[in-house]
Amino acid sequence: MESTIQSSCLTCDFRPDRLFCDMPPESLKAFDEIKSRASYPRGAVLFAEGRPVRGIFILCDGRAKLSICSDSGKRLVLRIAGPGEVLGLGATLSNTPYEVTAELLDNSQVVFVRRKELLKFLRDNQSICMEVVRMLSQDLHGAYERVRTIAMVRTRHPHITFRPRALVV
Amino acid sequence: MLTPYGLDIIESCLACKMRAEHIFCDLPPAALQGFETIKYATAYPKGAVLFVEGQMPRGIFVLCKGRVKLSICSTDGKTLILKIAEPGEVLGLSATVSGKAYELTAETVDPCQVNFVKREDFLRFLKEHSEACLRVAEQLSDKYNSACREIRALGLSHSAGEKLAKLLLEWSLRNGEAAKIEPRVKLALTHEEIAQMIGTSRETVTRLFADLKKRQIVQAKGSTLLIRNKAALKAMAVTQ
Repeated sequence: MESTIQSSCLTCDFRPDRLFCDMPPESLKAFDEIKSRASYPRGAVLFAEGRPVRGIFILCDGRAKLSICSDSGKRLVLRIAGPGEVLGLGATLSNTPYEVTAELLDNSQVVFVRRKELLKFLRDNQSICMEVVRMLSQDLHGAYERVRTIAMVRTRHPHITFRPRALVV
Repeated sequence: MLTPYGLDIIESCLACKMRAEHIFCDLPPAALQGFETIKYATAYPKGAVLFVEGQMPRGIFVLCKGRVKLSICSTDGKTLILKIAEPGEVLGLSATVSGKAYELTAETVDPCQVNFVKREDFLRFLKEHSEACLRVAEQLSDKYNSACREIRALGLSHSAGEKLAKLLLEWSLRNGEAAKIEPRVKLALTHEEIAQMIGTSRETVTRLFADLKKRQIVQAKGSTLLIRNKAALKAMAVTQ
């Protein structure tokens, strides 16, 4: 997809459609100052599981694959994130290592916000903080749904490994 | 003084001594005052169900004392225990915030003191206190983290032995036992419940424990388990 470089959130055309991005004007202005934007090629890894947390990434366009890994290097895809999604939010807020790996599936524009600045921004902007809480709840719902399906496959066919099915997202 | 289920009920959050240790409870004074007016302190016996998976959210439950079993049910009726919640944890949080049905079932393991807050009150409270809102975000992140760990354990490990070894190692890190060469683990769960935690059958858990004892990796003393060979347990926990 041919995309024009959006340097400022203030003039972004996608903004009204995106839950997180659609902020009140004052908040948006503050956000525009703390964010940095970059273009990444397809296949770039935004953050890797187990790495110390730096901040959040927001996908302006393109998709990203979120996966987790076992000690022996086996991979399980959790889900595919789409445009407008905020990645690395949980780890950033709790200041724990990233719990998943995010790899871009398309050439994408990504906005990055450092942890310290994000926390300050959330303290100052109450309504965004509520939105963040809501997004985290969504993530959690998705994760529990995934646990349920995996557990179900497990109990039904304990002798069959379900990796092939789990990889199809 | 007589109290329900022999619990020492903490009536006021303002006077609670454990507050400082709990992430959610350690609120700034103004927010704490606000929380105090909307919460109901309640006591539940062992085996009480706080909420059921699929039920519409009524509000949040802050666990003050005792432990609560959080489980998920597959469509064929099998139970999987996700976690044993400890004091200080907030239960039913994501459902209450998002307005979707509770995604877990919460059942008390001991007599518990639980502070209940109604959904509307809680949402209003979050809007008014930004610090509390951040604490909630932090709690949700922790839960998301452990859900990811659960997915990894279920989806990527192979044998039940490996998962049991991981579980025992995780438990051995608690109660200041982490640094000891031979840590003690208090087994608060039955074999049936352990089986539900790692997604296997009761028989398999019993067989695995017998095997661990025979190989002198663990030693049982009543309900306490002494891990005698931590290295061997660690080797078992690595995915083959």
